[in-house]
Amino acid sequence: MIINPLLCNPFFSDQVISLSPVIFKDYFGLTLRDIEKILDFALSKGGEFSEIFLEYKIYNYIRMEEDIIKETAENIILGAGIRVISGEKTGYGYSNDLSLNSLKKIALVAASIANNPSIINTKPLSPIKFPQNLYSISIPIYKETISKKIELVEKVYLAAKNYNSKIKKVRVYLEDEIQYITIANSEGLIVSDARLLVKLICISIAEKNGKKDSGYYGGGGRVGMEYFIKKLSPKKIGEQASEEAILLLDAIDAPAGEMSVILAPGHSGVMIHEAVGHLLEADFNRKKTSIFWNKMGKRVASPQVTIYDDPTIPNFRGSLNVDDEGTIPKKTLLIEKGIMRGLLQDRLSAKIMKMLLTGHGRRQDYTYIPIPRMTNTYIERGEYDPEEIIKSVKKGFYALKYQGGQVEDSGKFTFSVSSGYLIEDGRLTAPVKQATLIGTNIDILNKIEMVGCDLEFGMQTGTCGKNGQAVPVTDGCPTIKISRMTVGGRK
Amino acid sequence: MKEDKENLMGLAEDLVNFGRKNGADEIEVSIIQGYEFNVNVRLGEIENLVEASSKKLFIRIIKNKKVALVKSEDFSKETLERLILNTIKRAEFGNPDEFACLPKRQKLKIDISSLNLYDPQISELSTKKKIGLAMETERIALMDKRITNSHGASFNTNKVKRILINSNGFSGQYIETNYSLSIGLQAGETDARVEGYWYCARRHLRELETPEEIAKKAVERTVRQLGAKKIKTQNVPVVLEPNMTSELLAFLFTCVSGISIYQKASFLADKLGEKIGNDLITIIDDGLMPGKLGTRPFDSEGVPTQKTIVIKKGVLESYLCNTYAARKLKLKSTGNCSGKGVGPNNFYLMPDKYSPEEIIKSVDKGLLLIRTIGHGLNPVTGDISRGAFGLWIEKGEIVYPVSEITISGNLSKILNQIEMVGNDLDFRSRCAGPTIKIGEMTISGI
Repeated sequence: MIINPLLCNPFFSDQVISLSPVIFKDYFGLTLRDIEKILDFALSKGGEFSEIFLEYKIYNYIRMEEDIIKETAENIILGAGIRVISGEKTGYGYSNDLSLNSLKKIALVAASIANNPSIINTKPLSPIKFPQNLYSISIPIYKETISKKIELVEKVYLAAKNYNSKIKKVRVYLEDEIQYITIANSEGLIVSDARLLVKLICISIAEKNGKKDSGYYGGGGRVGMEYFIKKLSPKKIGEQASEEAILLLDAIDAPAGEMSVILAPGHSGVMIHEAVGHLLEADFNRKKTSIFWNKMGKRVASPQVTIYDDPTIPNFRGSLNVDDEGTIPKKTLLIEKGIMRGLLQDRLSAKIMKMLLTGHGRRQDYTYIPIPRMTNTYIERGEYDPEEIIKSVKKGFYALKYQGGQVEDSGKFTFSVSSGYLIEDGRLTAPVKQATLIGTNIDILNKIEMVGCDLEFGMQTGTCGKNGQAVPVTDGCPTIKISRMTVGGRK
Repeated sequence: MKEDKENLMGLAEDLVNFGRKNGADEIEVSIIQGYEFNVNVRLGEIENLVEASSKKLFIRIIKNKKVALVKSEDFSKETLERLILNTIKRAEFGNPDEFACLPKRQKLKIDISSLNLYDPQISELSTKKKIGLAMETERIALMDKRITNSHGASFNTNKVKRILINSNGFSGQYIETNYSLSIGLQAGETDARVEGYWYCARRHLRELETPEEIAKKAVERTVRQLGAKKIKTQNVPVVLEPNMTSELLAFLFTCVSGISIYQKASFLADKLGEKIGNDLITIIDDGLMPGKLGTRPFDSEGVPTQKTIVIKKGVLESYLCNTYAARKLKLKSTGNCSGKGVGPNNFYLMPDKYSPEEIIKSVDKGLLLIRTIGHGLNPVTGDISRGAFGLWIEKGEIVYPVSEITISGNLSKILNQIEMVGNDLDFRSRCAGPTIKIGEMTISGI
């Protein structure tokens, strides 16, 4: 049924085959006229807006453990989702079958959300182009031979295994994908993109005197092979994972109770992602479930805090040439010197709230309705020297690496630290394991006392979940001091 | 569904034969075909309505003891045959793994229809009725004036057909249904809101809780958190509501999964036959309980499911394995293969005699844990540290809600500190447990 040139996925064989993006030329085997017809069909019951999202994705995976390449896999994702909006209601249907007949059928399913005579027709489709390609690379990994990819995996594995004799088990995973999409809507928009994504991660398990612990490290993004030569070597990935596992062997239980907390630069962006990002997604605000819904223009954080979500950072995991609704994304100011300034919008929320689109409408795949999501979220650098920040704490907790976090609309949020240090008399002392930190966002944002000048981004391996949909994201953060926060250690 | 017309079984057979003919030593083909309906309503209006059918095909190929996998949503024969040829070629680039093989053919222990997985009512239920169930649930919940906002109510149905054929002669298929009705609510003013929800998921519509039951439970579970206090950091007994016990069991499942064990990624590695908990703890995985959410006649590689005693009065009797993990550990598969890994069937803690009220009564000073957020589970060490919401207990009575606390402990210790097990086991999810009382955990507060 579909586009055979793409089946020459180079992962299949050990030769590089040049992939031409045939898919864009013929829009998944459909003509512009076909797509207009489908969009019109979707409006036949009186909907105001119709849209089709076509997706073809090739995902490859290699797993190494116990000194061997244990498994390789390839997934072909193929389908279309059709959405119709009528007032605030959305009708949605999807299918793997991209024949015109099947698409007309799902268009009708989606159309049924409205129940009126047809009021508008689809405007003639005119293809748009994005201003820049954010995924510009030299050596695409999806075109790389499988031997080259295995070589990369083995380098990480060996670096992790040889780091220390206490490293007992190592697992390395390489995932790469190329997602071709075409989005068209009844307002006349049609746009295509080819999004590449890579993730290389290592998990090490160390053991000493019957005590075990694990470490994690990784990298990637919308990058090419050159990233693992110039930016982040496989050796570093392996060594960092093992270093954390070894560090944790001698780590003590985290302290319990309220104390000063310093967040290390980079990975600590997860705090901003949870404490701020989610609750500034427009859907939670138009529904007034977010604690921020009535605070636009008001103080919600200490004056040192400025936060952006920027989908336009070249080669980042969260970056998008075009969002999943066909909007060209913009760097979006969320909080400026403590004042709430913006929301992350998708089409539906922007329409209902009468606000401008920001290009944050995302979906996991064609089976899902797009919703407002983060991309690359970070807290802007401040003025403090990180050393000075650590020196300012007599007794506290230094959070280094994370397992993740969660927030609810009330503003209660957590983030789980996988490793950190005690702070005693302005110095980092004993390594500390596993602790969850909890607070209410506006309270904690106001307790950010110092923001460092050392902005870094975390590992390019993060995935964010919302309403059951997973999308790639990154976040960033300089060294930050929170005057008091509850640390969930053990007593 | 138009599954009969499509003859997916025939397609799977053809692909197995094609793979064998073209050099695969072993080949397994599985197809999942689903029909989904979902409606979300909020404040009395439909928000989203989704109706769709989809199918996915999974192939595992073993050649010279090397494993390669492929998944496709493109069902054209040409594509699928190309994928198989390429997967056989790709397998060559892996390394031989002496433990890799498909399971030997085994006869199912039961008649599939006796498992009661399919509810024919799913085809008769009108869209109007489905929307009505969600609407009614929210309408009843919003009648309570203490509720200040709604996340909406959802009704979801799924009909799924599963087909599995492999080159060892296994061939099986079954259809299952799932229904779920849920609602999320808020109470309190913007800067002091509390969140709560309730849901019910079942294979049969007639077993689903009514909109009224779900609405009332959701309201009760939301408003009981209003006026929460912060508490001091301390070590106290903790009572887990059944859904919290279920969360704990899901974590325990990861720790007894044969994959975590051979990877040494569990604190329970090398502990088979040892006493790892006290006498109150008997944990079972059972794939054959009629009509339950985790029930299935065979696992995702065609091994018949069974009843496995995992922990018997505190003694670790069995790990839960797919064929690969079992071979690595010199054990037998327990019929727990799920996708590429290992998953629970109905994994539950055996109930005892105490009512939840009796358990709460027994606590002089402690916490009733009602909700957690965040991550903070480490199977390698058994360490637990999570954000928590609860109700404070003094002298056997619930006195006030508490929030902004974390709860921490270690699963290895907890298994020895469970002091009471309740009688209120309900199979609301694949991992299920009754109310339990844990002797001591650390609560971090102010």
